[in-house]
Amino acid sequence: MRELSELKQSVEKALAFLKTQPEIKSAQVFASANNRLWTRLNYTSHIPCNGVEEAKSTDDYGIGVQIVLNGANGNMIGFGSEERDLSLDGVKMALDKAKQGAITDPEFRSLPQPTGEKRTLSDYHDPSVMDITDRALVEGGWKILDGAISSFLESQKLRDMAPGGALHDLGLIVGGDLSIRQERMAVGSYDIPEVQSDEAAAILANVTSMVEKGDAKGSGYSIHLKLSDLDDEAGSEAAANAIGSLDGVRLPSGDYPVILGPQPVGELLSNLIIRSCTTGAFYSQQSCFMGKMGQKVASEKLNIVDRGNARGLIGSRGITCEGLPTGETTLIKDGVLSGLLSDWYEYQRILNDPKGGEKLGVNPGDVRQALLPRTGFRFGIEGGRNFGGRPSASATNVVFESPSASDFGSLVRQVKKGILVGRLWYTYPIHGLRAGDFTSTLTADSYLIEDGEVKAPIKVNTLRINDNIANILMGIRGMTAETRPTILWPGSQIAYAPVGMMVDKVHFEAIAEFMDSAY
Amino acid sequence: MAQKVDIALVDKVKDELANLISASRDSLEGCHYIDLRLGVGEGQGAMAQDGMSKFSLRDYRFSYGIRVIAGNGTPAAGYFGQPLGSADVDNLAGVIKEGLGKAYERAVANSRAKSDRLDLWKTLGGSLQSTELAPVKVCRDTIPAVYAVNPLDIRLDEVGKLTQEVSKAVGAYDPRVKVNQVMAQTSLNRELLISSDGANIDRTYALTQGLCVVVAIGEGGVQQTHYDCVGHQRGWELLTDGIEEDMIRSKSLMGFALDLAADNVSLTDCKPCPSSDKDVVVITDPHYNTLLVHEIIGHPTELDRALKLETAYAGRSWLLRSLKENMLGKEIASPLVSAYSDPMLPGFGHYEYDDEGTPVERTVHIDKGVFRGFMNSRQTAATLGVKPNGHYKAIDSSLVPLIRMSTTVFGAGKDDPQQMIKDVENGYYVVGHRIPSISESRENFRITSRKVYEIKNGELGEMFRDGGIMANTKDYLMSIDAVGNDLRIYPVFNCGKGQPMQAKKLGNGGPTLRGYARLVGGAK
Repeated sequence: MRELSELKQSVEKALAFLKTQPEIKSAQVFASANNRLWTRLNYTSHIPCNGVEEAKSTDDYGIGVQIVLNGANGNMIGFGSEERDLSLDGVKMALDKAKQGAITDPEFRSLPQPTGEKRTLSDYHDPSVMDITDRALVEGGWKILDGAISSFLESQKLRDMAPGGALHDLGLIVGGDLSIRQERMAVGSYDIPEVQSDEAAAILANVTSMVEKGDAKGSGYSIHLKLSDLDDEAGSEAAANAIGSLDGVRLPSGDYPVILGPQPVGELLSNLIIRSCTTGAFYSQQSCFMGKMGQKVASEKLNIVDRGNARGLIGSRGITCEGLPTGETTLIKDGVLSGLLSDWYEYQRILNDPKGGEKLGVNPGDVRQALLPRTGFRFGIEGGRNFGGRPSASATNVVFESPSASDFGSLVRQVKKGILVGRLWYTYPIHGLRAGDFTSTLTADSYLIEDGEVKAPIKVNTLRINDNIANILMGIRGMTAETRPTILWPGSQIAYAPVGMMVDKVHFEAIAEFMDSAY
Repeated sequence: MAQKVDIALVDKVKDELANLISASRDSLEGCHYIDLRLGVGEGQGAMAQDGMSKFSLRDYRFSYGIRVIAGNGTPAAGYFGQPLGSADVDNLAGVIKEGLGKAYERAVANSRAKSDRLDLWKTLGGSLQSTELAPVKVCRDTIPAVYAVNPLDIRLDEVGKLTQEVSKAVGAYDPRVKVNQVMAQTSLNRELLISSDGANIDRTYALTQGLCVVVAIGEGGVQQTHYDCVGHQRGWELLTDGIEEDMIRSKSLMGFALDLAADNVSLTDCKPCPSSDKDVVVITDPHYNTLLVHEIIGHPTELDRALKLETAYAGRSWLLRSLKENMLGKEIASPLVSAYSDPMLPGFGHYEYDDEGTPVERTVHIDKGVFRGFMNSRQTAATLGVKPNGHYKAIDSSLVPLIRMSTTVFGAGKDDPQQMIKDVENGYYVVGHRIPSISESRENFRITSRKVYEIKNGELGEMFRDGGIMANTKDYLMSIDAVGNDLRIYPVFNCGKGQPMQAKKLGNGGPTLRGYARLVGGAK
């Protein structure tokens, strides 16, 4: 993987070269190097398998150049990049592409400029994660599988289910992956000439386990900043949760109070809330919070903050991919929409939009601080900071808080008859983001709550939620102080979601009855 | 200065890389198999929003991926993939050799660890097997691209100009159109597959796509956002002239985008779709059935899902619980229903060999209501004990392939679609696909449509917005009582699967269908 010093030198040389080109009015140069390693797991006791199915990786490095040129009709902007060449040759090739593709965009104001905020986070990752070997990558995956298999082998409940000790006939499944993300970047521009750099790494394990004969599924996951912290926990947790989900029950259609676990909160956050909390969503009139800046959009028990610069949190970065400091953006405070995620372009655009006041519900200039571009990242779909991409608003660490947080047990005790939802599947805004209607199915880790106690697991894939995000947000009745990091899609965003978030009423439909007699 | 990357590069490196793969298989201890995929593409794209140009770029893509199966005890696979740049052209074989070494190291380490677990995991170690690939005919072939206008002969500013003109026209269509975005891309791509078995497949193809997003707000404040795409493995003519083929018909990008705008605007005046508390008669049009077949037939018939490899990601399939317990040979749909995947059909999903060199063939999933088979790869075919049928594909050579749909469709029936509507006393006509949500093993779905019409006494009545249907998959398939003769194929540009996510372009389609399902509108 290319060193940080190489990336910085390349950006410095590129800027010096670009300044010799008279037609270029302004420019920003971004260089990055990324490694993404995965050990993909697939164990099936009843079907021939490989255990570790794929040990694989992709890596890249290169340089991207954004330029502003004098055009006949005003400024022209162009972007080009070159893969695997940090030399001046690479810069020249990227520049040629940027010139060739330059267009006149009347809404473009400038390349990113200092916002007045200062960088607060540096040297925050474990260097050893940058040096992981191929053998360690493979062994890490097998270690997670070992954790799951041990849980299965030690389970008395499974032994009781398997006549003659034939555990393999139970259809035991372990799937998922260990993924390691390593990223380095450097950025500089005419407006922010000091070349800044950033380096981050993280280890993520995501496991699903099943006892298929019992239609029982459980999840386990772990997120680490240090290589020494990697253990078999995600595997053993998933297997234990699968075993705990045996003998699941069906529930009839209806409205139920629910307690949402971290994954469902992350799922709703990722697919509905975060996408609605960007300046771009407001500009294009697609947010489900249109016109509600400064107004109540959720229960007063809800605070959501994006903490991009918090040391020790997985999604933290020192600077954005636009060379601006990361920071803290309060999205919802006491139930009131208070801020939006933004990159520089969209920040400028909403500030200068003649209809900005109507779209936000307040004059954009009056809430400038709440819209500051602290989250302009070039996250690739595979993870990493993509030199070939242009910045867009992405969440970092989305932290849930409540002014009246409680513990999980006291939430459960408040429920007469309801559902603990542990994992949602395929959650989409089914009529577009703005309408807020969504649908999703319960696929694992979910339980019936009766008389203030968790009573029985719910059979997987037997309930579908049909509801609206406004009902969920306004119906929040409490949440735990304890949070757990949850990976959002795309994988560079993390939610620190409550272990339990109670909502007074959600609509469920009973589904897939035919499966009860299919096998 | 580094060399230019263009698709002709493949001609220069083909033989050298074939020799490298062959020699490496022979020289690496315990190495059983190697395959190499090299991809080169040249293309351009542009985007406009509300009549303003926002972006345009002409660039190349260049990458490779390697699979090695190695190990003395219990062979296992190791993978390595990388994007490449101009700077790699002069030393391509050297770069690939280095990557091959990494894939080999991973395979060997994986094999050792797997062998260790055979005993360590006691009774549960028994299902760990050597990685094996089902045999296929070893093919060597060169396939040229099909186009009328070479994507590389178009100037980048022409691409930008088209998106800007279309975006301006969409914005001017009606004051209720508030935001629109139009994208166009066209490229020429070449993919080389070389295996240590001797396969050598060199395929070139054109790929052109137009995409439009329209946000409209009515006078009453109703907002509608819809998007759709046109696309094909053809040249620039697709976007300027449209296309008229047997099963694929699309207007030019301008005509297509204006149709979308017209639909969107008309929907802002509609009432929301009602919900039914029980199943009602629903007629679904070929565009809606494109997404329906994608979700309820295509995905559950991918054998990697069925064999549980996607349990943590894309999900399993209700069609297979184990090698002994599955739906093969069983009735899962009305006798009027057939469905198949066929890479030889035209469109985004067309190809002659998949990414491990398997010559393709039509894979029948449902024949007269009976479930017949899955899409597979060589490895999954070996597990199930069936013949490989060529559905192992990656969106980029640097990524590990997965089992993907090619073109998956409901087969055509004999009914006249107009008559199918006339025969309904009370029901709904569900037109155009929008957003899907499907349960993990694909046993239940809710898919929204662009518009829903009430059917009264055989006539189309009021049009509704924000509606769709929900049903249990098997119940719905069994309920189908009429199948139209109007099979159409549409492009799907963003089918996501895999870790890392691979958003694949493919084809889906079907004829008009009539069955029973719950009509579902908005939440209360």
